[in-house]
Amino acid sequence: MLARRQFDNFDSILFFSGLAVAMVGLGVIYSATAGAAMSGPFLRQSLWLLIGLIALTVALTVDYHTLAEFSYLFYGLAILLLVLTLIVGRSVNASQSWLGIGGIQFQPSELAKVATILMLATHLGRERVQGLGFVNFAAITAIVGVPVLLIIRQPDLGTAATFAPLLGGTIFLAGIRVRTLLILALIAALALPIVWGHLKPYQKERVRTFVEPTRDPKGAGYQLMQSHIAVGSGGILGKGFLSGTQGQLQFLPEQHTDFVFAVLAEERGFLGSMAVLALYFLILYRCIAIARAARDRLGVFLVMGVVFVIVGQTLMNIGVVVGLLPTTGVPLPLMSYGGSSLVITLTCFGLVLNVWKRRLVN
Amino acid sequence: MSAFSTLPQSKDRQDFYEERRLTGRIRVVQSMFVAVLIVYVMAFWYLQIVKADYYLKLSDNNRLRRETLQPMRGVITDRERRVLASNRIAFNIQLDREAVPDMAAFLPEMSAILTTDEETLRNRLSRYRRRPAFIPVVLKEDVDLAEAAYIESRRLELPMLSVDLEARRFYQHGSLAAHVLGHVGEATDAQIGSREKGEIEMGEIIGQMGLERSFDDALRGRSGWKQVVVNNLGRTIQDVDVGRRPTPGHAIRLTIDMDLQRVLEEAFGDEAGSAVFLDPHSGEVLAMASRPGFDPNVFAGRFSQDTWNALMTDRRHPLQDRASLSKFAPGSIFKIVMTVAALEDGFAGPGRVENCTGSWRLGRKSLRCWAINKGGHGLTNLRDAIVHSCNVYFYKLGYEMGIERIARWARAFGFGSRTGIDLPHEEAGTVPDPQWKARAYPSDPTWHPGETTSVSIGQGALEVTPLQMAVFSAAIGNGGTLYRPHIVLSRETQEGVDELVQDDYVAGRVELRPRTLRFIRDAMWGVVNEDGTGRRARLAGRDVCAKTGTAQVARASRDIDADEMRKNLRSHAWFIGFAPRDDPKIAWAVFVQNGGHGGTIAAPIARAVLERFFEKQDLRSEGEAVASASAIR
Repeated sequence: MLARRQFDNFDSILFFSGLAVAMVGLGVIYSATAGAAMSGPFLRQSLWLLIGLIALTVALTVDYHTLAEFSYLFYGLAILLLVLTLIVGRSVNASQSWLGIGGIQFQPSELAKVATILMLATHLGRERVQGLGFVNFAAITAIVGVPVLLIIRQPDLGTAATFAPLLGGTIFLAGIRVRTLLILALIAALALPIVWGHLKPYQKERVRTFVEPTRDPKGAGYQLMQSHIAVGSGGILGKGFLSGTQGQLQFLPEQHTDFVFAVLAEERGFLGSMAVLALYFLILYRCIAIARAARDRLGVFLVMGVVFVIVGQTLMNIGVVVGLLPTTGVPLPLMSYGGSSLVITLTCFGLVLNVWKRRLVN
Repeated sequence: MSAFSTLPQSKDRQDFYEERRLTGRIRVVQSMFVAVLIVYVMAFWYLQIVKADYYLKLSDNNRLRRETLQPMRGVITDRERRVLASNRIAFNIQLDREAVPDMAAFLPEMSAILTTDEETLRNRLSRYRRRPAFIPVVLKEDVDLAEAAYIESRRLELPMLSVDLEARRFYQHGSLAAHVLGHVGEATDAQIGSREKGEIEMGEIIGQMGLERSFDDALRGRSGWKQVVVNNLGRTIQDVDVGRRPTPGHAIRLTIDMDLQRVLEEAFGDEAGSAVFLDPHSGEVLAMASRPGFDPNVFAGRFSQDTWNALMTDRRHPLQDRASLSKFAPGSIFKIVMTVAALEDGFAGPGRVENCTGSWRLGRKSLRCWAINKGGHGLTNLRDAIVHSCNVYFYKLGYEMGIERIARWARAFGFGSRTGIDLPHEEAGTVPDPQWKARAYPSDPTWHPGETTSVSIGQGALEVTPLQMAVFSAAIGNGGTLYRPHIVLSRETQEGVDELVQDDYVAGRVELRPRTLRFIRDAMWGVVNEDGTGRRARLAGRDVCAKTGTAQVARASRDIDADEMRKNLRSHAWFIGFAPRDDPKIAWAVFVQNGGHGGTIAAPIARAVLERFFEKQDLRSEGEAVASASAIR
């Protein structure tokens, strides 16, 4: 009886979909790094998966209302770590986004995602007013804006971009008025040239390369081209495990991180791609269901925040792989190699499961 | 199912509607995400099913290569748009290193096939050691059609060798204007990636000397690239729809008149030296030659090292541009500067008379005039001193004026500093004065009076380039304006559109009294048209004004080898001037190295060019008279 009730309170579809994607990711990471004579990434990622599951359990166990009470603390901590990263952080690929604690390196920008989601949900969960006024709008923008600006400073434009769906989605969900929206669109249109002026040359190059892929064959254009070849040459059934030439022969750059899905598509073909897309769809579907079943506004905004960040990031990453979006350097949640991202994603899953578990008023 | 129905009843109706709206918005979010997912499914469908064969082919061969497409170098024409440098097709034999499993074992065979020794091949290969193996290495360049066909017909036996077509720089007229045009060559290791504008890649042909170098950015164009699929023989089987077309270089049009240039170079014969002919009213270089010449075509390829070495070790130094890069004592032509200074500063009037006895005693030294064997020039006024080039007259004049004043006037006319010609390199020459002496000779820093008298007749440490002399000569002709001499008239900015490189080339002005100018011009007219030293340049009706110079070679110049000291002992011959006297159309400096007396050897060279110049001018004015349209410019 107890076991049955426990099971009811646990969304196994969501959990196992996520776990399945993570396992597929492990397999692809194994394949993508096998040729490079380093089994390290696979083992390390397995370890991170275990740590992530522990984090998930913690995020699930503590009542999310209690977590919301501490949201200011988490948020403040995240901001503090981001500032610290800028001062003492370690650089990888020209952006200073890593912080070492003990022997472990991690990215505070990932932590900032959860903290921001929680903070937004806490803020909007309290409000009972209809629609989103200008003051509230400014508050939401500030909550997202502060970590984003700090992350841009690193500079890690890709991670900063993953906050865009969170901000946009939350504003929409909170019910922004159409008139405000139009004014904002106007401001954005005016600000765009200024933003463009402040972009780093390589960032401009990426956008230009996307608009005109043949511009830069050795750089980003090359990546897009090779990614296309990897995906396309997979065909229906794929070339088989460890047989993807694009990935195995190192034609693909960043093959176990940003382009992990291209390796999957090459080795597992259309069917493999569709299977994993289906798993991501299941995750989306269950999250939406949980959001609608949530007991209060706090729960709704918490779950939807996770949806905006995780699903948004997923769509951004896969969009790059199939050439529908410019290269941003966003990892694929659950699949890309990288401990911070995996642990934080699973923590988010814990929060969603938390809302599901406490959907009914006891 | 909805949790909102179970919320406390205390909520008012507004809350209830807000909850319903929230649920609606969640649905909108869901639909949007699902829509994107559907688009992605279609993208995967397109890539992995519709285009699968295309991409499979690309990845199966896994031989997607990037090929650099060299741009066509800009054409160089003379002022009448006659081509001086263009491009032609050349066949190169190249090696695909990936197709050779054991390079050491293959070298002897390759050496036999290409009739090139192993050492050379090894050197050519070694430059590419650190480059990706799929980049082909050119082993033999500019082979004839027969050899190209031989290699092409043996593709099956020798899949690693292939024939590549390349556009090669071609100088139609061989050595004509070689020092002006310069030459191209493969970028050296130091040049690769060194230039800010447009990174230079390995194997790229760039301008190395002359205008090819100073206008390389315009001429070179921008290389393109394409991605190609090659089969296992290394042959391109398909172009992938990715790449960038090469942008051809821009043509440049020179101020040089090819006819004058040719006449000038032929007039030099076997003599070494240089000459510059300018338009005195614009600084345009009409002809500019340095002898002996060389054929820039030999540098057009990649492996010019042997030829280079041969030219470098040639005792006559054909690569040296003697017009802008060699400096010599001006000899008697410096007397023009002295005269201008004396007239302007009031040290001498046309009536000043000196008695030349063939020598003049200064301290313990006896300074000689070249006419010493005739017993000197006798009583000589300023005009006669110029026309007959009397040294004694100028010894005395210079001694009175002092070195500081002389140096100031020399510098005012641009001596001692670069003219700013649009060539990559130029010498500034030397105008000595006591400060210079102290700097250059710390062991003997004192300026001696004898040095002043040496400078007064254009000897001593005074050194000028023929180019500077031409600018000076033009300034006397045009009334004191110093122009920056230039060789490039206009640059094509886009197909069929020319743009002047610069509108105004005035570099400076020396204010001279009309009286001074009249006197100098008249004296220079006398040099040619009376019984002066320059009578061999006389052209009836053209009023040629000139001054000869014979610079004694007191010591070996830098570009003469000590082995040739015997000929080296002969003096350098100068001949500068302008014509016609009253409205000069052309000004020049001719310099013949070890040519003996200026009037004997240098004057006829100038005369040949002037003859052609005025002939063309007459033809042109006849043409203009017929159809009042100008043929040139």
